[in-house]
Amino acid sequence: MKELEKTKRISIASVLFILVILIGLLTYKRPMHMYTINSKTTLENITSDNYLISLKDLENKEYALIDTRNEFEFQKGHLDNAINIYAPEILNEENTLIFNKLQEENKTIVLYSTNPNNVVAPFMVLYQLGVKNLKIATINNSYNQNKLITDNIDVEKSVADINAFINESIKKAAQQPKPKPIIKAPPKKVIPIKKKKKMPVEGGC
Amino acid sequence: MVNRKTAKFLSFRYTILAIILVVLAGGLVLLPKYEKHEGIKTEELLSNAVSPERYISTDELANKIISQDPSFLLIDVRSEVEFSKYSLPNAINIPLKKLLDEDSIMYLNQNQYDVVLLSNDNFYADQAWIIGNRLNYKNLKVLKGGINNWYKTIINPPIPTENMAAKEFDLYTFRKSASMFFGVVYPEQIKVTKKTEVKKVIPKKVIPIKKKKKMPVEGGC
Repeated sequence: MKELEKTKRISIASVLFILVILIGLLTYKRPMHMYTINSKTTLENITSDNYLISLKDLENKEYALIDTRNEFEFQKGHLDNAINIYAPEILNEENTLIFNKLQEENKTIVLYSTNPNNVVAPFMVLYQLGVKNLKIATINNSYNQNKLITDNIDVEKSVADINAFINESIKKAAQQPKPKPIIKAPPKKVIPIKKKKKMPVEGGC
Repeated sequence: MVNRKTAKFLSFRYTILAIILVVLAGGLVLLPKYEKHEGIKTEELLSNAVSPERYISTDELANKIISQDPSFLLIDVRSEVEFSKYSLPNAINIPLKKLLDEDSIMYLNQNQYDVVLLSNDNFYADQAWIIGNRLNYKNLKVLKGGINNWYKTIINPPIPTENMAAKEFDLYTFRKSASMFFGVVYPEQIKVTKKTEVKKVIPKKVIPIKKKKKMPVEGGC
């Protein structure tokens, strides 16, 4: 009889346990945005894929251009056919719908901003969320008299050879004093002065 | 007899329980999606990525290096070729591809030092930062403008024109002395040292002259 009670307790406990797990699984809310690739894969893809598009290639009208600057900058001047999605807001519901729609249409999405550095943040986040065909436009936007000027820019190009600069400065500095000949002052000779001896006064005092 | 039957029944229940639990455990293994979802929440990553807190300016970094601040590590994420051409003193080279290798992770995944990531410009350093931030590494910073900005502000600082504020001139003197620390030589430096050399002329030899002492005249005048 005692053994039967034990098994009753165990079976009740196990049923409850299974129930708890089932309830947990059913009520678990999936986060709205989930990464689709892990960090290592992201790193590999980032360093091997070519996701940069130059200004010339933008002429192709198949691209969906997205301006990630704020509204004010967008109103000042933007590229033709560009949509404005401010970078910190790319995970909002309405913007997620836009991205999903573009994904379904299989369009290439090109992000741009004031310069390529500002686009890295939204690009990386969207990339890791699994948005396909995502590219960055390597352009620099500036304003001249309220008119938008767009130039192509090379990403991560070294501006100056610093070692050469330092060596040149050393050369320049070493060269300068040479044309001035250093005139060494002739050693001053110390001439012993012979003081005239005063002759003793002779004669009467 | 009754005991034997209950014993059999009991073991049957236990086996069923065991099977159910094993199946549940197997179900947990079949969750590869969660493995890919490693790291901090997407919204958090986005807000960290767009905030400019991670940047450190070239002047601040120059100050840290000159005052020999021991609390930071410099990690250069450019290729080995570019690193060998020029890099900041005491910088460690971890090319971007190898950022998550086993031997590189220990530089990133620690709490003792501040890590400053740098590359030619912000681009690669920011990418490295975002990857590190997703894996919740603390103490990561990015040098704003990278080596290009380092050149423009520290190595070759722009001379302020006359109509700029006094602050700009102070900044310029700081940057110029910083550039001297990092190896740039200015012509005025050499001139000064040479002048002091010229001053060191052959020391004048002073020949002591013995004056003949005049003996006092004795006797009558």
